[in-house]
Amino acid sequence: MSAIELHDVVKSFGSVRALDGLTLSVDRGEVHGFLGPNGAGKSTTMRVLLGLLKPDVGTARLLDGDPWGQAPELHRRIAYVPGDVTLWPNLTGGEVVDMLGRMRGGLDERRRTSMLERFELDPTKKARTYSKGNRQKVALVAALASRAELYLFDEPTSGLDPLMEAEFQRSVTELKREGVTVLLSSHILAEAEALSDRISIIRAGRVAQTGTLDELRHLTRTTVTVQTTRPADGVGDLPGVHDVRSHDGRATFDVDSDRLDAVLAHLAGLGVQSLTAHPPTLEELFLRHYGEQVTA
Amino acid sequence: MTRPATGTVTGSFAGTRHLLRLILRRDRVRLPLWLLGLGGMITSSALAVPTVYDTPAKVAGYASAVGTSPVSYLMSGRQAGIDTLGGIVANEVSQVAQLGICLMVMFLVVRHTRAEEESGRAELLRSTVVGRHAATLAGLVHGVTAALLVGLLTTAAMLSVGLDTLGSATYGLGLALLGLCYAAVTLVAAQLSASARGALGLTGAAIAAGYLVRGVGAVQDNALVWASPFGWAQRMDAFGAERAWPVLPLLALTAALLGLAALLTAHRDFAGGLLQPRPGRARASRALGTPVGLAFRQQRGLVVGWAAGLAALGLVYGAVLPTIPDLVESNPDIASVIGATGDVEQALVDAFLRYVFVFMAVVSTGFAVASVLRLRAEEESGRAELLLSTGLSRTRWVSATVSVTAFGVLAIATSTGLGLGVGYALGSGRWDRVASQVAGQLSYTPAVLLVGAVAFALAGMLPRWSAAAWAVIAFVFFQVLLGGTVRLPDWVDAASPFWHLSQVPVDAFAPAPLLVEVAVAATLVLLGTWGFRRRAVVPG
Repeated sequence: MSAIELHDVVKSFGSVRALDGLTLSVDRGEVHGFLGPNGAGKSTTMRVLLGLLKPDVGTARLLDGDPWGQAPELHRRIAYVPGDVTLWPNLTGGEVVDMLGRMRGGLDERRRTSMLERFELDPTKKARTYSKGNRQKVALVAALASRAELYLFDEPTSGLDPLMEAEFQRSVTELKREGVTVLLSSHILAEAEALSDRISIIRAGRVAQTGTLDELRHLTRTTVTVQTTRPADGVGDLPGVHDVRSHDGRATFDVDSDRLDAVLAHLAGLGVQSLTAHPPTLEELFLRHYGEQVTA
Repeated sequence: MTRPATGTVTGSFAGTRHLLRLILRRDRVRLPLWLLGLGGMITSSALAVPTVYDTPAKVAGYASAVGTSPVSYLMSGRQAGIDTLGGIVANEVSQVAQLGICLMVMFLVVRHTRAEEESGRAELLRSTVVGRHAATLAGLVHGVTAALLVGLLTTAAMLSVGLDTLGSATYGLGLALLGLCYAAVTLVAAQLSASARGALGLTGAAIAAGYLVRGVGAVQDNALVWASPFGWAQRMDAFGAERAWPVLPLLALTAALLGLAALLTAHRDFAGGLLQPRPGRARASRALGTPVGLAFRQQRGLVVGWAAGLAALGLVYGAVLPTIPDLVESNPDIASVIGATGDVEQALVDAFLRYVFVFMAVVSTGFAVASVLRLRAEEESGRAELLLSTGLSRTRWVSATVSVTAFGVLAIATSTGLGLGVGYALGSGRWDRVASQVAGQLSYTPAVLLVGAVAFALAGMLPRWSAAAWAVIAFVFFQVLLGGTVRLPDWVDAASPFWHLSQVPVDAFAPAPLLVEVAVAATLVLLGTWGFRRRAVVPG
């Protein structure tokens, strides 16, 4: 049973093909990460799912319905947070939350209160006085305070500070426990990694890869910078280590995520003075795996 | 050590030239359209006058009746040299030219000052080398340039029909200075209000006030004309005994307003106004949870503002009605000119009322179009996307706005009619006539609704062209205010919905055209709704 089923969807705006044969399937009860760089077609996909755009070619199904033809009925069962939130300047945050909740067909009072607290949102302020992050929070509270079967989040944490980002992750984890479906678009790999059961990677209007985190593990490498008491020259010979660069007694290299353990054990023997590690950014990942195709 | 770059403007006007270049780039279509539209209307009526008044007898007839009727005084003031062709041309174009130039500078100046600041785009600009007063100065230069060009076009049009050089130049100069004065008014309003709509509202009220004060002063022939910039521009007496000194109060007021605007700019925060935002309700009222509730909440300020403004205008016009008998006594020729048989006074009152009804109705098409086009603003801002992601269907979303527009049009007409009726009753004691003024004003609403429906159909079917609805308003204004002078062919007249309605109270009320127009409007609404249902609704 799929919550979302897109098959070979094409959507063009003039000469630009925003979606170029996109196929995506999201199962019920899963948190699905939807990853792609800016301009890859994430928001266009969301708008097709919301019935705001009609695909030129291909089929779209949402909760076993037609997103274009049955939009209002389907929307009672979903909640959506746009990436760039614009609000009605003369309404307060509290009023917007209530209004959207009612139009969605009901609001959970207890969740409304707890979400307002969780996101530290003052509901009496007029929307025109909110910052970008606070407008984002209004849309998040409005979505999370309603009980939906499917949540569509389009880059929901853009503009949020790290504490609020953590609160958002906690909220999604709670949703996951309730068994609802979440489609989470992001250009931050770590965010999708932390929350998703499965991930689809979109590039230039097509899904390039889809799978569980383990299945995609070969795509992810961790970049490590280490300073050791004894020279770390031998690290390049270990399996799964790539691109070793040395400078000022430090070594920087990339490690396949499934080889990380063995590499760290080796480094420990050399006397680690300092170590930083960060997961690859989405752009690095694309450069690594699709670089040839992109330049070709 | 730092060293000031040579040749750069520093201080609070830095960057003005860059801003001006940006403004000209952004308005490369809009500015020519204003100039063409306004200049075209003025030129076409200037060209028409000599063909209509082609004998000395006809010119004399105009001077003794049309140009000295209370309607003309109220709408165009007391024009000098009304017994010459120049005076007639000036009198015929003045309403469109004077109101047009004021509206033009208002829209242009707000667009490049407060609207930019509100949108946040100005913030990006202000982070570069742009001084505090640069945006104000650039907006002023832009508006004043446009006003000067319209003044020049007007002078050129008048010269082209062989009018007196000094008179034509004086008229054009007075017009441009009126524009300059209201550009300064707009700049002050843009400092006071934190929103572009608020700035437009304040300026619109100031234009209406100046126009009304001059009109009432002209009807009563007293010093009130000297309390309005419209009066100063007119008292330069183009085509009469031209005089230059009324330029002084125009320039003095402009300078004072510019000083005030600069003072306000220097003492306020960026994006701030004079009013601090107050906390609002933490919970939504029961009404806000239906699309109609939201649409009404969005537009209640607009409806109340228009209703109050036109009611005030109606009150003044109504109060002028009882003074008409005096004018008949002083000018017995009037009866023959308007072709009245029998009760001349009543015929004059009726003619006056018809004119006011139509004028008010045409003005209120501005509300209808602005109200309907909020849908496009909702769509382009992305707010519609958020709404339509809830259980709201597109049909309910658009029909909520359409209902609020229709309600607003009827409410505005009712309050306008009430204002007229009460104003008349205050002077004459005829309280029994109040209801008939309300009914008279309401009888013109189908045409207003029809213009709104055209805007809606455009927004639904041809969203990129929805701004063309403003051209429909310009055409309707032209047909109603100048159609008689220019003598448009019938098929052009027939394109205006106001032309088909029975001209109450001069003609007896006939329901047929009203019903037909309502039916056409309903069809257009259906078409527009169909358009909204089938096309993509996405942020622009």
